[in-house]
Amino acid sequence: MKRSLFVLLIALLVTVAAQAGGKKNYGKELTVKETSKISDIIAAPEKFNGKRVKVKGPIVDVCKERGCWIKLGSDKEFESIRFKVDDGVIVFPLDLKGSNAVAEGVVSVRTVSVEDQIKSGKKMAAEEGTTFDEKSVTGPKTILQIKGEGAQVETK
Amino acid sequence: MKQFSWRRLNIVLHRDIGYLTVAMLIIYGVSGLAVNHIEDWNPNFIREKRFEQIEPITATERDTVKAEAMRQLGLTEEPRNFFRPDPETAQLFYENLTYSVDLPTGNVMIETTQRRMVLFEMNQLHLNAPKGVWTFIADLFAVSLIFMGISGMFILKGKTGLAGRGKWFVLIGTVIPVGYWIWYQYLQ
Repeated sequence: MKRSLFVLLIALLVTVAAQAGGKKNYGKELTVKETSKISDIIAAPEKFNGKRVKVKGPIVDVCKERGCWIKLGSDKEFESIRFKVDDGVIVFPLDLKGSNAVAEGVVSVRTVSVEDQIKSGKKMAAEEGTTFDEKSVTGPKTILQIKGEGAQVETK
Repeated sequence: MKQFSWRRLNIVLHRDIGYLTVAMLIIYGVSGLAVNHIEDWNPNFIREKRFEQIEPITATERDTVKAEAMRQLGLTEEPRNFFRPDPETAQLFYENLTYSVDLPTGNVMIETTQRRMVLFEMNQLHLNAPKGVWTFIADLFAVSLIFMGISGMFILKGKTGLAGRGKWFVLIGTVIPVGYWIWYQYLQ
């Protein structure tokens, strides 16, 4: 019994050691062969709407509350795209911020009403401990995001 | 030869499954408390923000902005990533550390992120973040809990057993969730 427990413990430690560094997978396995540029998706969202894509970029932000989205920096300056997963399907730890990721999902383009923008703006501000100016919302807005299914993140 | 007894078997199973599941019960219980109050605190990470002031950075070229920010902040190690969300902001990412520089004012927000030791791991297991084999283990644990609940009712006989005062406790324990749901759904 003691020997079995010892072997089990060693196996566990070896597994942990093997996973330390390198890459960590979240959600489903990546299957799309070709990598799309985030800048291309942002430039022509309608062309990609509903399509399954694989993108790569640095993780520049992570959902603070539930780990249900990450924001990937584009290959072009001043651009990023949100990679959103259903709550609980994937939980992205906050400390992934700054790591490089390859992520796969379906591009989604939708229009968000003024009310919904204010609601989510207030929620984000509360998470950040800042304030949200309702006047910054001037009309309905088109939101582009990737409905995420799987991601591979460089851990070191 | 000892006579076979269902009650004896029930007690043995209840006891041994109890030993087997005690660690899981603690993990799920502690994590349950932690994530129940997710609106009030972050159960996985300790986040801290502090601010520093540097000289405004007027450069616009990416590498120059990065080099200037690093020089003024006294950073010698190359960041894991450098990102500019907009022309006025530069972000330098290090392990568990992010510098967000407001270029026109030189105001720098330094954010550190630290995992809550043990609680982070408990929450990951409770919320089934690992998926895969853990889903199977968590299912087994859930079945064990159901068994523990049911078998627990048949351990004692007599006045303190199910036929005695036990039935009233079972009734109260049932009325609490059912009653609350009826109030929440239909009456409030």
